[in-house]
Amino acid sequence: MKRSKISLAIAAGATMLAAAATQPAFAGETKTKPILGIPSSAVADFGGVDGIHNWVESLFYYIMLDNRINYIFKEFGNADRQIALNTQLETMVLGGPNNYQGASMSAAHADLGITMTQFNAVVEAAYNACERNDIPYYSCNDLIAALAPFTRVIVTK
Amino acid sequence: MKRVRVNGLRIFQCAAILVAGLASSSAWAGWYNNGKVLLTGGVFTVDGAGGGGAVPWATISGYETRDGINGSAGFTYVNLPALQVSFYGVNVGFYDRLELSYVDSRLSLNLPNLQTVALVLDAVDLGDSVGTDVWNSTLPMQTYGVKLRLFGDAVYTSDSWIPQVSIGGLYKVNGNKELVKTLGADKTKDYEIYLAATKILFPLSTLVNVTARYTSANEDGLTGFGYCHNNGLGTGDCKNKRKVRAEVSIAHLVAKNTAIGGEWQQHGNNTGGQSININGLNLTTITNVLSNLGLDLGDSLKQKNEGDWYDLFMAYAPNKHISFTVAYLMFGNISVAPDQNGFYFSTHLTF
Repeated sequence: MKRSKISLAIAAGATMLAAAATQPAFAGETKTKPILGIPSSAVADFGGVDGIHNWVESLFYYIMLDNRINYIFKEFGNADRQIALNTQLETMVLGGPNNYQGASMSAAHADLGITMTQFNAVVEAAYNACERNDIPYYSCNDLIAALAPFTRVIVTK
Repeated sequence: MKRVRVNGLRIFQCAAILVAGLASSSAWAGWYNNGKVLLTGGVFTVDGAGGGGAVPWATISGYETRDGINGSAGFTYVNLPALQVSFYGVNVGFYDRLELSYVDSRLSLNLPNLQTVALVLDAVDLGDSVGTDVWNSTLPMQTYGVKLRLFGDAVYTSDSWIPQVSIGGLYKVNGNKELVKTLGADKTKDYEIYLAATKILFPLSTLVNVTARYTSANEDGLTGFGYCHNNGLGTGDCKNKRKVRAEVSIAHLVAKNTAIGGEWQQHGNNTGGQSININGLNLTTITNVLSNLGLDLGDSLKQKNEGDWYDLFMAYAPNKHISFTVAYLMFGNISVAPDQNGFYFSTHLTF
């Protein structure tokens, strides 16, 4: 009886280890699960990974113009690194490969005291970036749907 | 009646001055907030609550987030063949949680059959004896509203089916008792309670709202509440039975600042089939007088079955301070006037 319990525990432990091993070692964040799904064409609609990178560059351009939020981005981390990490994150949530090398969204924003107003300011910058990069409004909404669940951990105030 | 009108106008003016004062005062800076994303607070409904044109949504009006307070003012003009309605109102949203609203509306009836009766009553010198001004054709109404967000987030919980849900209450005071009674309603003042659920489905760029309203209103309360069956003796069988009615709004965003969509609002049928009731006067005499003049108004003074409200709208918000809504309304029969279709224009100013 006792032995069977122990072997069960070992088996469970081994399964968990195996599950952990299948995840990329550096994955700090996982794909969100929007109820209506993200169309399989989403990455292509943004112009592939290069297009997503261009979009993130525009996003940071508009963020840096907005006094409600630019100081946070200036204070915490350099823009080039954040553009690279955001490109990985956005590619992942839109259904591309998960090469995200940054911290989880909750760990990255835990101490920043981000308000809903500031989160919405980034969303406004996101729409401006879509317009600037000629990404259709509907495709832009796919990305908003994919990023929206992070609101829960990003907005802490 | 005149006093009620003046009072209502005064309250409206006070509210407007108060909101304007708050907006300009420096103490406002701490709590002022306009951080919501464009159009996500809805526009200005005829009840004053934030929502579509007629259907209140679960969203809290104004552009404030949970970080502050915002307010707005709205004006709506409805033009139908038999009537015109103006709505002036204000609302304030507190911390994306609580909304208070006030609307002053004015409905002007333009019904040839009622005017014919008025003309004949004047001609046969009965005008005075019915004890009411037969030319009286304006229905002023004040609507006081409160809405509380219960749970959920309409915008950002894209990984859950749980919508944003709010409960709201409206208290409506119709200022023209004589005309409300003439149109066969039981009460001029009544409350309504509604429960609204709203969700934005980003991959479809569409907002869906479903509202259940507990009410006994005739034409949204603009022509009173409940019914009094006319027995020709001035008493009659009066009832103000509230029921739950369904309302749906669907708004599709074609761009971040432009929405198109439609609404459906279920209505009751409290006064359908009844003749209009001039101060309890039995209208047989009048219709006899009229047929002597070669006019058969017997049937046209009978109220038609009240229709549900349908509308198709387009809302455009060039920025966070102003939005415009135009709509085509299909209101069905209103009182003695059949097939009322027409246009709606609304402006919503947000601080």
